[in-house]
Amino acid sequence: MGTTATIPEKTSATQEFLDNLRQLPRNLKDAWFRLGRLPESEREESQATFHNLFLHLHSVRVHLRTLRPSLTLGLGLIATFSFLVLVITGLLLMIYYKPSTALAYQSMKDIHYVVATGRFIRNIHRWAAHIMVIAVFAHMARVFFTASYKKPREFNWLVGLGLLVLTLALSFTGYLLPYDQLAYWATTIGANIANSPRELTDALGITPYFDPGGFQKRLLLGANTVGEDSLIRFYVLHVFILPLLLVILLSVHFWRIRKDGGLARPEDPPGGLAEWGGKLHRVFEPLATKTYGLMAVVRGRRPPVNRGPEGTVMSWPHLLWAELAVLMLTIAVTLVLSFYIDAPLKEIANPAVPENPAKAPWYFLGLQELVSYSAFMGGLVIPTIAVLGLALIPFLDRRPGGEGLWFGTPGERTVAWQSLLFGLVCTVGLLAFTVNFGWLRNWFPEIHQLWIIAINPGSILVLLFAGWSLWTLKRKNSVRLAAVALFTCFLVGFVVLTYFATVHRGPNWQFYWWPSQWPVH
Amino acid sequence: MKDPSRLYRWMLLWTSLVALGFLLAAAVRENLLAEWQQRQRAYRKLLAEKATDARGRELLRNFRIELRQVSVPALGAVDRCVSCHVGIDDPRMTDVPQPYRLHPVEILEHHPVDRYGCTICHQGQGAATNFHDAKAEDAYWDYPLLPRELTQATCMTCHDVSRLPPQDVTLVLEGMRLYEQKSCGSCHKLQGRGGALGPALDNEGLKTKHQLILTNLKPPYTTWRWHQAHFRDPAGIVPGSQMKNPTVTEREALALTAYMLSLRQRDVPESYLAPDKIAQKFRALSPQPQPAEQLYRMYCFACHGDGTYGRWEKTFQRFIPAIRGTLAATATREYLETQIAQGRPGTQMPPWHSQAGGLLPKEITALADYLRASPAARSARDLAARSRPVARGDAARGQMLFLRNCAGCHGVAGVGGVAPELANPVFLRAADDSFLATTIRNGRAATAMPAFQRPDGAGLSDAEIADIIAFLRSLESPSQQTAQAQDKSRAGGSQ
Amino acid sequence: MSDTNDVKPSRLEPPPVTRRSFLSIASLISFLAAMGTALAGVLRLPKPTVEPGPVRRYKVGHPEQFPVGAETLFAEQNFVVRRDAAGVYAISTTCTHLGCAVARTAEGFACPCHGSKFAANGRVLAGPAPRPLPWLEISRAADGQLVVYVDREVPEGTHFQA
Repeated sequence: MGTTATIPEKTSATQEFLDNLRQLPRNLKDAWFRLGRLPESEREESQATFHNLFLHLHSVRVHLRTLRPSLTLGLGLIATFSFLVLVITGLLLMIYYKPSTALAYQSMKDIHYVVATGRFIRNIHRWAAHIMVIAVFAHMARVFFTASYKKPREFNWLVGLGLLVLTLALSFTGYLLPYDQLAYWATTIGANIANSPRELTDALGITPYFDPGGFQKRLLLGANTVGEDSLIRFYVLHVFILPLLLVILLSVHFWRIRKDGGLARPEDPPGGLAEWGGKLHRVFEPLATKTYGLMAVVRGRRPPVNRGPEGTVMSWPHLLWAELAVLMLTIAVTLVLSFYIDAPLKEIANPAVPENPAKAPWYFLGLQELVSYSAFMGGLVIPTIAVLGLALIPFLDRRPGGEGLWFGTPGERTVAWQSLLFGLVCTVGLLAFTVNFGWLRNWFPEIHQLWIIAINPGSILVLLFAGWSLWTLKRKNSVRLAAVALFTCFLVGFVVLTYFATVHRGPNWQFYWWPSQWPVH
Repeated sequence: MKDPSRLYRWMLLWTSLVALGFLLAAAVRENLLAEWQQRQRAYRKLLAEKATDARGRELLRNFRIELRQVSVPALGAVDRCVSCHVGIDDPRMTDVPQPYRLHPVEILEHHPVDRYGCTICHQGQGAATNFHDAKAEDAYWDYPLLPRELTQATCMTCHDVSRLPPQDVTLVLEGMRLYEQKSCGSCHKLQGRGGALGPALDNEGLKTKHQLILTNLKPPYTTWRWHQAHFRDPAGIVPGSQMKNPTVTEREALALTAYMLSLRQRDVPESYLAPDKIAQKFRALSPQPQPAEQLYRMYCFACHGDGTYGRWEKTFQRFIPAIRGTLAATATREYLETQIAQGRPGTQMPPWHSQAGGLLPKEITALADYLRASPAARSARDLAARSRPVARGDAARGQMLFLRNCAGCHGVAGVGGVAPELANPVFLRAADDSFLATTIRNGRAATAMPAFQRPDGAGLSDAEIADIIAFLRSLESPSQQTAQAQDKSRAGGSQ
Repeated sequence: MSDTNDVKPSRLEPPPVTRRSFLSIASLISFLAAMGTALAGVLRLPKPTVEPGPVRRYKVGHPEQFPVGAETLFAEQNFVVRRDAAGVYAISTTCTHLGCAVARTAEGFACPCHGSKFAANGRVLAGPAPRPLPWLEISRAADGQLVVYVDREVPEGTHFQA
């Protein structure tokens, strides 16, 4: 530092030029690394965080609760870092991938067999995508069960929901790109789920006049069947539009975390002792004789008058260590999986030979199970209800309490366990019933489609869950507990249905105990 | 106080080490252990062993370990087989193990690798760089590497197989012969000619295993293993199949399999086609009539046998008529032509006219004559000569007679039972009264149809036969009746 | 944590944290090593392993197809093959200036792009071309045909004894 002092007052311009030239390496280094060494004092650490575009996302100090792995499990970071991995590997794959029905499959084969590191990088891309989807789901569950969506974080919950939808859309659009059998038929099914409002409009006989399903499908595919136009659409969505939207929403998401005062946690009592980590800590009281820099105290949703940042440590280096560790954990897990298990690539897409069973991507398989009862109810109404329900949670449950604590309100853990059991029994029971006894169409072959749309295992499951939640509301007299009941049930339903459709559904969507029992076909 | 980020630093250390380890392992796996690299290293040793003269030393010096591929845009092929099969054009590589051995020179001479690639003949996954994936029997690939003895099947892509040296395509030629001999055309179409009971076989060789029922086949699943097993026992491989067991030996099943695999309609640029293939395609546009005997053998024999005996077919649950016996003697040529051209709707007998079974009008006439010229028919001819004109009968009385004498086999109202359906529009239109009268009177030799009038006049009288014929004429198929009713109502509605 | 006091001191009395501990350095180094290795792998990817188009090594035919004094132009592959008393040789027809394909003229070759002119043996006669047209390596394949390596240069005047 202090380069300004080396410029003498009076000297010739030539001399100055030569001096500058001589000092060029050092000045260049200073321009890049302003401090010139690792920060040593807290002041320098603050500046390291604050003066760096990428690091200034963090607050200068971070609460020790936030740093504990048990609060967040690092899920948001894992999702973010897997997205980062996906962006990098995706850009690399774009160098060789050719988005055309005639060339896409061959280019996948080239990536697999001859492109240096191509196979490994494609595997990483595939696994990181799986990890991202799982992490996003788990992150949402974490935020819910730690009540971290509560005021003032309602908006960020909505942003997160948007990120969930974008993540699924990204993964789904990527599915078509290899243009193999898996891609072709999974996309066909996905597109026909978009087409499912036809089921209702057909049953009402108004499809020729009002056809939102057909419109959605054609908008998605650019045609009536998956082909060249669909591939280009999916490609543009996958490599440009959706990532761009995701980055924008992600920035908003992070920014809101700062604006909402960091991760949700219980308020520390001012001036007294706070308990965390099984120990008591003295909470900071500002000294009247000391001036505090703004960046050391700005936190929380209001200026911390009379209270201070106790229980906090410097973000540099502690939070950075945590982030680096999670980044490396994500990368290491991805690498290990990619080393042993190749991303799937089946035969070239063949519209004449359907895959049997033709399954959608795994995170849509729960939906596909519901769709197998009624495409409209399972593919559109129930997901819409689920997304709307999720969006409304922070606005219906407004009583503060429990933020930043797992199952923080009294009785919450019990309700969660009960709901887990209830959801499990309902879902498994309904599935077992349907597998064994069939449904309305098996008993009344002539029944009108409207009945099937209205009454099917999917809609009954939703009703059961809603009823359970209302009963909890009445029984426990708590909106939060009712929300916990509903969320847990839906989560259990989602997991069980996804598992069931993945493992127990075989050719012709028949029930099998194990995929090894599937008949060869 | 414990350092709050100590845990994370440990985590970073271990995850980094794991990541580093796997990155290095992946690098080693890809750059040092790849199968094609090991093959080329072994090949270089072979080259060194054989580098006894200046040429050999030069070849060794010029040899580099690198991925090799043949790119043939015209055939849509990028074949990397040459990455391991490095010695296919080196005449010294005759005493070395595969994959280094010399490719048969006389074939390579006419099919340079740079122009044809490998997979156009051998199939398999040309993009692969290891043998398991290239062979692709157990990989996600539609066309696995053909076994050596079946490679000849792909010659048909560009050649008229009958113009190739017979010793190179023995299996395909034998399969072709068996196809005629076993009368496969009775049920299967090839280039529009053949029956309609089974699927057309024009593109059988390009079917993937996913288009076949593999349930009853033991792995490994390949189309040729399916075909071989299927030719030995059709219903055992495809449950419920009506296909007759062609009763072939293993060798014959292999030959038929080779022929099936050779049936491939692959679009190949014209410059790749042999002149005889082009000639063959042109010939197919203006087919020449074939001799009737050969036609009978190819398209009739599977069901009718030599045509002198009627027989009960268990699969169809009906009698197959003896078409070269009394029938051919009593029926007119026009009747036979109509029967062949139109078939019998509702039975397994398909129509054979040029739009359906693909037979030319000339061929149908020749076939009708061929049926009538059979020895059995000739001996029965004098019966037909004695036919008398049929009087006009009474249908009501005829119905009583029909129920008493005919309905047992032909079914009430002639809908058919063990005996043919008589209320069949094609039959009723084609059969004239004297034909019906002669048949009732004399029966059908070598079938279950007895004579109803003895030469001494006992049995049904001529008048009674005329009554029955009148009843038969009153039988019209329900569809025809409906059509007539519709015509009437339409005519009524327009008035 | 060894003292009896359960109350942690305020942050205003910062705990002595060893920031440059062995653990920090080791974890940072292994992190950087892993990232460096990954970067090395990533950088390898864009370099094509095999030529996507036809190979850069052409079988041009048997030596008898090139009689003494004759010149054969391989326009798509951009070289000519000639034979004189000394043997067979191949000259690239790709301009050494900026890679245009040169045309055969009476005096030798001429580049249409920036006006370079070359003698029949490849020497530069005029224009911006910095070097003569390269002579290409010829060898014989295992089956006896001549092979021209488009990306291997030999000194001018090198003849292949066929």
